[in-house]
This record gives sequence, structure tokens and C-alpha cells, in this order.
Amino acid sequence: MNKIVTGLVFGAILGLVDGATAWFTPEVRPAIVTILMGSTVKGMVVGLLSGWFARKVNSVTWGVAFGAVIGLFFAYLIAMQPQPSGNHYYLEIMLPGFVVGAIVGFLTQRAGGPSQQTA
Amino acid sequence: MRELTDSTLDHLRAVVDLPDLTGTRYELEGEIGRGGLGVVYAARDQQLQRRVAIKVLDSTLPPLRLEEEARVIASLEHPAIVPIYETGTLPDGRAYYAMKLVAGQRLDRYLHAQLSLSERLRLIQRAGEALAFAHTRGVVHRDLKPQNVMVGSFGEVYVMDWGVEGVAGTPQFRAPEQAGVAGGAPDHRSDVYAMGALLQFLLPGAAPRPLRRIAAKAMAARPDARYVGVPALLLDVQRFQDGLAVVACPETWWQQSRRFAIRNQVLLLLLAAFVAVKFFLFFLRRL
Amino acid sequence: MDPDTAIGGLHDRFPATRHSLFEAVAAAGTLPGDALDQVIALYWKPVYKYIRFKWRMDNEAAKDLTQSFFVSALERDFFQQFNPEKASFRTYLRMALDRFAANEHAARNRQKRRGTVPFDALDFDGLEAGALALADTDTPEAIFHREWQRQLFALAVEDLRAHCQHSGKHLQFQLFAEYDLAEVERPDYALLAQRHGIPVTSLNNHLAWSRRMLRTFLTGRLRGTTSGDRELRDEMRLLLFIEGGRGQ
Repeated sequence: MNKIVTGLVFGAILGLVDGATAWFTPEVRPAIVTILMGSTVKGMVVGLLSGWFARKVNSVTWGVAFGAVIGLFFAYLIAMQPQPSGNHYYLEIMLPGFVVGAIVGFLTQRAGGPSQQTA
Repeated sequence: MRELTDSTLDHLRAVVDLPDLTGTRYELEGEIGRGGLGVVYAARDQQLQRRVAIKVLDSTLPPLRLEEEARVIASLEHPAIVPIYETGTLPDGRAYYAMKLVAGQRLDRYLHAQLSLSERLRLIQRAGEALAFAHTRGVVHRDLKPQNVMVGSFGEVYVMDWGVEGVAGTPQFRAPEQAGVAGGAPDHRSDVYAMGALLQFLLPGAAPRPLRRIAAKAMAARPDARYVGVPALLLDVQRFQDGLAVVACPETWWQQSRRFAIRNQVLLLLLAAFVAVKFFLFFLRRL
Repeated sequence: MDPDTAIGGLHDRFPATRHSLFEAVAAAGTLPGDALDQVIALYWKPVYKYIRFKWRMDNEAAKDLTQSFFVSALERDFFQQFNPEKASFRTYLRMALDRFAANEHAARNRQKRRGTVPFDALDFDGLEAGALALADTDTPEAIFHREWQRQLFALAVEDLRAHCQHSGKHLQFQLFAEYDLAEVERPDYALLAQRHGIPVTSLNNHLAWSRRMLRTFLTGRLRGTTSGDRELRDEMRLLLFIEGGRGQ
């Protein structure tokens, strides 16, 4: 399994888990399906980009940092969209998105095939 | 009959043992050491203008057997096995062979308290690779011990004295079947025993338990209780170095969990951060 | 075949092949006379000096005890009881000597035993002067070991001398005696060669030959007083190995 596929798989799984925790926020439960789909796709996009980065750069530190930044960015894009209640959930979306991005960045560095970068 | 003085006696003892290299292309320089049924000298190859080591074997051993062993050893081309250049017979009937002169130290002299564990394990790996290679050629060392392992000036490792069962070998490194105790003829598993003893010799006083267990498994009294071969022993050592569980040391679930946590601490930290963030947000909403 | 290495070929003083002690006893059922000769020739001096040092005996008492020991050993099947698995013959003999001498010394009941053992040719009196010239740090065991080495080499040198006389290699032995048997300072190689009108390379070759023959005679002498190849190998190692290295 190469690093891009690794990123897609783990990004999808973690995105799904991240989206599922929205169930603990009663106000957004009606839109849980939409949230799950959006979070999963977000996770896959972050995973794809982290996997691409891991092929180029062999560094756990930089991989985690890249994944965290990408995760934060795409979480911001989603948080910008107002919810049906009219509220924005910047903290609830961006903070977990930042951590999920870091995890995906770490996993793409450690798992999957070797990177192209030589020592 | 005149009685010999002490100085005359010492002189005769010295000169009578020196090999007479007349008729060979070598010029004797001096004795390097003794072991494995013979004496090793440094000499100079007059034709190729290089220094070599010459091992002169005891006169009581049949030359044909030693020539055959030299041929077997010469067929073992491996970076950790000293190449043999030439075999022959001295004018006094003693057999000899010329080989690469290794500039370095015997392992028992190279070992010191400040040597790191990783370096000690590297030495075991290099020596073990030579033995594993030889076993694939059907050659068993039979006398592996620290005195038969050389460490060169660049850290390269050589295993010496092949195929000659030590007469006065150190019992600590000899498998029970070699002393006729456990029954059965010595085979490659005798070398596994010796590798275990060598590992035990190299380990520092407070060595990690898995390594001590690896050595103990290799040194089991029954050959069939040891590792099936040197590669299996080396694999277990490598597993230890990689932070994995070793075959010789079965772990409890708690030890396995602890090992997993140590190997994956960064991941576990990130997952813990994710859970912490979720809990934080959950209770923040409650406020 | 090189006549120099055919030890028994040119003179009949020594057999062509020396059999081990075990082989000799096994073949004859008892210790044959020539094998006994070898044992006594090698061990009488070490035994004598050992007795004199350990029990502080005078020449006559030590001489009597030495002779008594060998006669007793022969009478009691001493050689047939030797087990090479337990120790070398040299060690076995020394330990038997300890037991014998302790019994004889305590009982103060030494009788002169002659029997059929040939002691007449042994020069006990000649040892008198040098017998007590020993360092205070020497132990009886170290003395026994040292005298064993000394006697073995002395016998081998005599073998070499006889061989050279019979084979006409007078020059070789003379060079060997002047260089390798020099007691004080060894002569300069070039001067020695010049004195005999030969090139240095010839001197090297002659000395190498003599030393090679000496080693052959040493091995032969030792083979006759050991149980087999393994003990022979161990004894050769003890004979020739010098702790702390060696000189050229």
C-alpha cells in the first residue's frame, strides 16, 4: 500500500470518526449524514495531500506539521459554511480537524511504501 | 653430556619452534599468537611485497587432513572469513597455510566496558553472518570463541580458525555434544551454542532480559531445544534491536501492551490529543 | 629420501619410529627395556633435583631415593596403571614420586635397591655442584618442569651430535654448537660465517637444518614418554611455549 493510498484510507477512517462525534452536539444531529459525508471527504483530501507530501519528504516532524496545517485549512473551509441554525462552529470543527490532520500526516510518514527522497 | 644453562635452554626453545620458511616465498617476521593447534606468524610475501599471516600447524597432525581443511576454508569466500592464499609443507614436515594478515585485535581484547550495546550486537551479527554462510556450504566451525574472532582497525569482523576442533578449547563455548556428554555428533547447532556463549560473553553486566534469554535459548543443553540455525538467532537479535518481541522471551499481555505503547508513543499521543480535544469541546458546550 | 630425516637410516642407535609409551606397554604387556631406558634417561635428572630441592636431601640420599623410585615403579606396574585421560605422564610420574618420597622419607627406611634398572651410567655426582643453585622463588613443581625441559633438550642435542657424526655433517653441528649452544654471548652472524669461510646464507641454511633436526629428535624423545598424539601435542606446546613472547 503506497503512501497516497495510506493517506486516503486513514483520512477516510479518521474523518468518519471525527464526523460521528458531531452526534454529541444535539443541534446538528439532524444534519449528521451530511456531516459524516463532508468529514469523510475532508479526511480523504487531507490524507491524499499528506500522502503526496510523504512521498516527497521523509520526515515525521514535517509530515505531522503538514498534515496539521492542511487539516486546519480544510476544516476552516467547512467551518466557514453556516449551519442550518445559522451558527458557525469554528472551534468544534477546526480544532479536531487540526489534530486529525496531524494524525494522518504521521501515519502517511510511518506507513506505506518508501518515500522518493534519498538521504 | 653437557648440562644446558638456562639462557641456552631458553634460546633453544625459541629457535626450534620457529618455522623454517626456506624454499617458500615468505620471510619470517615474528610470532603473532597461538591457538587452534598451531602458531601464527607474521611474514612478508617476497613476490607480492605484502605482509601475510602464516599458520604453522602442530607436527603431530596429519598434513593431508589439514590440507583438506585449508581447501574447505579457502572455498568460503565471505567478507568475515579470512581468505587463504596458499598451503604447503615446511622442510621439517609441518603443514602451513598463508592467509590475509588482519590488523586488529582479538575480540576478548577489543571488548571494554565503554563499548555500547549496539556495537556489541553488531559484532555478534557480523560473526553470525560468517557462520550462517559457512553452514550453507556444509562447514561447521566447531571452535568459535572470542579468541577466534578478530576486529579489524576499521571495525570489520573476521572469524578465524575454521574446521579445527580445539584441543584445549574453552569449555564455556563448547556445546555438550562436542564433549560427548549429550550424545550425537556435533553439527551446525554446536555453532549455535557457541554463538549463544559468545553473545553471553559480549553482553554487559546489566543486559536486557530478552538478550539474556536469546543467549540462554542458544545455549540449551539439547541441540533440538536451541535455535534451528544461526540465522534464527540473528533474527531474534535483530527483532530486539527493532523493538519487537523476541522468540526466546515470551511476553505477558501487559509487556506486549507496554512494548506497543513505547513503539507507537507519538501516535498514541496524537490520538489522546484528539480524544482530549473532543472532551474539551463537549464540556465547553455544557458550560 | 633425504638421509638427514631418516633418523634410523644411518645409525642404529635409535629406532626408525618411536612408539608412544602406551603402544609400547600394550604391545609387550609390560614396559620394554628400551622404553624404560627412554623414561629414565629423560626423568632421572628432574626427579633427582626435585627430591633434593623439596626434601632438602644430600647427594647420596637423593641418589638412593631416585634409584629406589624407578625400581619400585617398575616392580609395581607403575607404567601399566597410567591413565592418559587423567593427566600427562609427566604429571603422573611427579605425583607418584611425591607419594613414594613422602612414604620413604617418613619411614626413614630407605634400602638400596638395585634390581635390573641401569643406573650406573647416570652421573649423579656430576649434578652435585649445580643441584642447589636455585632461586628462592622456585617451587618444586617449577623445578621439575624446568629440569624436564632441560634434560629433554640435552638428550635431543646429543641425538643431533651423534647423527651429525655418523652422517658426516661436522660443520653443521659445529656451527650449531658455536651459535645456538653459546652460553654467554652469541657470536655475530657475519663473523661466524667468515670464520668458517662460508657465506651468511649458508650459515642460515645450516642452522635451519640443525634446528629442524633438533625438533625432530625432540619430538621423537617426547613421543617415547607420552601416551599418544594428543599428549605429545600438549607436551610439545608446554615445552616450546614461552610466556610473554619470544625473541628471534
